[in-house]
Amino acid sequence: MAEPPDAIDLGRDRDLRGRRTDVWVRRTLLALVTLVPVLALFNLFGQRPTTSKAAVPAATLSVYAPTKLRGGLLWEGRIHITAHRELKNAILLLSTGWAEGMSMNTIEPSPTGEASDNGSLEFTLGHIPANKSFILYMQFQVNPTNIGHRSRSTTLYDGSTKLAAVHQKVTIFP
Amino acid sequence: MDLAIRAIVLYAFVFFLTRVVGRRELSSLQPFDLILLIVLGDSIQQGLTQDDYSVTGAIIVVGTIAALQVATSYVSFRIPRLRPALDGLPIVVVEDGKPIQKNLHRERITVNELAQEMRQQQIASLDEVQWAVLETSGAISFIKKPS
Repeated sequence: MAEPPDAIDLGRDRDLRGRRTDVWVRRTLLALVTLVPVLALFNLFGQRPTTSKAAVPAATLSVYAPTKLRGGLLWEGRIHITAHRELKNAILLLSTGWAEGMSMNTIEPSPTGEASDNGSLEFTLGHIPANKSFILYMQFQVNPTNIGHRSRSTTLYDGSTKLAAVHQKVTIFP
Repeated sequence: MDLAIRAIVLYAFVFFLTRVVGRRELSSLQPFDLILLIVLGDSIQQGLTQDDYSVTGAIIVVGTIAALQVATSYVSFRIPRLRPALDGLPIVVVEDGKPIQKNLHRERITVNELAQEMRQQQIASLDEVQWAVLETSGAISFIKKPS
């Protein structure tokens, strides 16, 4: 039998002695890598929006926005208020989780008033007649350094009376 | 700081990926592979620097990757025990003109691909080959029989 080339160990490199499990380790790790895009198909890493609702006799508050985001992502939050009775002065209170680490590109229609209520964003929407809807569209972009979990709550007031609230937990992936 | 962390995470992921996809996938550069390589680079770049267009950002990223590359090669050089995990080991795929099927199968190489590699190295027949070794780079080295 011819001599093997230098640095080639026939036991190790031809008969794969001690290397039999290597290929299975590699295949298992590769399977784990392919698991990531499969999980992504199931919205594990965003950004499919979900709807969260709170209904009270006076109104229904619905928040349609993704709860899983990634750095740099452009996304939309849609807040739908259906008034079951007349709301004289609808006010939305958005917790800091909505704005912290986000670029707010636009809010349409623009609220008639904007203020801060103990750190939360207070948007005055004004009068909503009974059985009418008000939809607030908000466009955001996630700042790349904004990573982790945030609590995002949306509260509807009529004047100073609290009507309904929606609480969501947002996860932001790097 | 986040740029350096991104660079470290993505370097580790790409390094890990190159170790698990199999060496043959890395050595062949068909037109499709070339396009894939560009797409891969572009995808990584976006995750790496995102909206940072600064020279400082580029220096941080390139510096981090260069340092990691040198560190990996130094570790491989200094700690022989880690070398198989970091660089891999060669595999003999032909001995005395006969393909070793179990090794070819393990690396997903067909006899036709082996023949193609041989032709590229001006070898017409397996009978001329004493040893063929799949190197850690994914290239196949052929050692001819003494004439």
